[in-house]
Amino acid sequence: MLKVSQLQVRLKKVVLDYDFSVKTGEIVTIQGRSGVGKTTLLNVIAGFEKAYSGDVTWQGESLLHKKVTQRPVSMLFQEHNLFEHLSVWQNLQFGLQGEDISERIKQAAAVLEIAEQLDKPPMQLSGGQRQRIAILRTLLRPEPIVLLDEPFAELDSTTRLIANDWVRETAKATNKTVLLVTHQDEDVERVGDWNLVLG
Amino acid sequence: MTEFFGKFSLLFLTSLTVFAFYGLMGYGASHSGSGADWSLLHDSYFWSILSFSLKQAGLSALLSVVLAWPIARALYYSNWLPFRSSFLSLCLLCFVLPTLVLITGLVVLLGRSGFVTYLLSDDWNLYGLHGILIAHIYLNMPFAIRVLFQQMTNIPGTSLKLATQLKLSGWQRLRWVEWPALKGSFLRLFSFIAVLCFNSFAVVLALGGGPQATTLEVAVYQALKYDFNIPEALALAWVQFSITGILYIMVSRWGSVNWLSADTSARRFTPQVSALTNVCHALLYAVVWIVLLLPLLSLIPSILEVNWQKFEWLSILKPTLMTLLIGAVSASLALVISYATLLPLRQAAIEKKRYLQLVYEWLAMHTLLAPAMVLSVGLYVYLLTRVDLDNWGIIFVVLLNAAVIVPFSSQHLRPRLLQFDQQYSRLADSLKLTGWSRFKVEWPWMKSTVMFSFSLVLLFAMGDVAIFAIFGNDKWLTLPWLIYSYAGSYRLAEAALASGVLLLMCAFIVLYFERSRHHVEG
Repeated sequence: MLKVSQLQVRLKKVVLDYDFSVKTGEIVTIQGRSGVGKTTLLNVIAGFEKAYSGDVTWQGESLLHKKVTQRPVSMLFQEHNLFEHLSVWQNLQFGLQGEDISERIKQAAAVLEIAEQLDKPPMQLSGGQRQRIAILRTLLRPEPIVLLDEPFAELDSTTRLIANDWVRETAKATNKTVLLVTHQDEDVERVGDWNLVLG
Repeated sequence: MTEFFGKFSLLFLTSLTVFAFYGLMGYGASHSGSGADWSLLHDSYFWSILSFSLKQAGLSALLSVVLAWPIARALYYSNWLPFRSSFLSLCLLCFVLPTLVLITGLVVLLGRSGFVTYLLSDDWNLYGLHGILIAHIYLNMPFAIRVLFQQMTNIPGTSLKLATQLKLSGWQRLRWVEWPALKGSFLRLFSFIAVLCFNSFAVVLALGGGPQATTLEVAVYQALKYDFNIPEALALAWVQFSITGILYIMVSRWGSVNWLSADTSARRFTPQVSALTNVCHALLYAVVWIVLLLPLLSLIPSILEVNWQKFEWLSILKPTLMTLLIGAVSASLALVISYATLLPLRQAAIEKKRYLQLVYEWLAMHTLLAPAMVLSVGLYVYLLTRVDLDNWGIIFVVLLNAAVIVPFSSQHLRPRLLQFDQQYSRLADSLKLTGWSRFKVEWPWMKSTVMFSFSLVLLFAMGDVAIFAIFGNDKWLTLPWLIYSYAGSYRLAEAALASGVLLLMCAFIVLYFERSRHHVEG
């Protein structure tokens, strides 16, 4: 279980409070007005921002004292998810493990309709294609906690539905605990098990 | 481990300076009972050289930047101009040109019986402020052109498209798009060039003279070399170190070009300019080509005067190989030290510890501010009784050369590494990339910058005179020192030949690395 207990984060003069828990294998969508602290929450869990008080535990063990590289977290940012100077395929090699990983990447890429983009440099891809590449890598990584910050923002309505379904199916099949920030009610209904509204 | 490596490198750099000052202070105290001679502050000689140092540095920097701007704009807006990449390579060559090569060229061109002196007024004199400014502008304006042009190409295409779509006039585009993009660079460039000129040694030594045209660096040299007056040299060195330090800290706080750092493939959009503007750009471009080439081409007639039958090629071959060897080892060492010293700085930048970042930056750059002459002499005095410098002096030529060129490589590597961190540090952390795996991601991003930086510092190291003057000897003779020796014994034809060889080597290195850089980027 991922437990966020009486967590306080201070951003300049604003104090943000969080208190909730997510069962292992659950998908939670997070909504709220801009500036309410959705991205900040993901950053604290991933280790990019510091908590002022409270705790974040995973399976009973506190995460807050661990380095970013030691946390069992895979995160997708709003931007800069790919190294621009490396090819897409090289980008996909980071963080992924297992003998069958090439096959799994190809299968996922086919479902997400990006199979033909794998050998290209990221700068030749559209915003939506880049986003799907990043989603693919984030979900296929072995970490049990997945944090997705507006993963479908750049997708058109058709690919959005495809990506919605792929994220849910993959997360459920691999028992991932997912926190997904979104502004779209459709994502909440189609992907999440329950919705957390901040603010 | 990496953090330790970074801090160790900073310690190495700092300790060189500390030992140098310690050497001078210790010597001064044991021979006159005190350290620096601060009574110098009441001497009009001191104020005269201080005011001249500031005046020539300020004027050189101002003129270099002001003259470079229209040329950079011409290159940017008239992108049809032929041989633009060759021109930019020539600019780099001018910046890294060994000073003695330039001075030989300027004397042949503008000296008392120079090729074009008859076109100038009767009271023309290359020696003094005129000559110093010409040499400093020749060395630094091309660098400013490159930097400003590079900054202009980094202006996001979307901003220029928007400006065009909003039908902004040329003046409005200059005010609202170009100026915000370049103003940080102007300040940084001005101060960087001012620091270089403030610490300028060979140019002022060769073209200056008397209290009216002497800088602090040359005064330090004269106090050490002619009077062996260590307390006076120390006082002058402290003043120089403090002024350049203050200047550098001010620049570090004010200058910023961060908003231009984002990579974007859609930036290639250049607004069209009028036909008249294109003609003006072409004229300006042609004039600058001629101005930059003339001092270099003027070496040829002097070279032709060499008596080839009596000339011993070995006398030039050995110094050539030695110059390359010392340059390559110093440059490699400088790159490793620069990369390492940037590690703690990057960490401080990621953690948004601004003051700590400034401290690390200052420590990594401080050898730019400490007079090379003071570092060399101080260390020499410190080591004299401890090390057999006749046999091991060459090691210190390499170490000190590496230390004084570290700021130049750091200056190049830092923005690229900070850009990497700005864009990717979270992603790399999130992907758990540490140590070697992180370096494997960073290397392709840095490769062209590292190679370019290597060529730059290699060329600087190859042109060294000041450090070799203290630690070198005839066993390890280098080309710049050979030129100096030939010129000192009035063998100007041989001096021109040695200058020509050094110039050709520099030109080949510039061309090779420019080509490899374009290849990597392409």
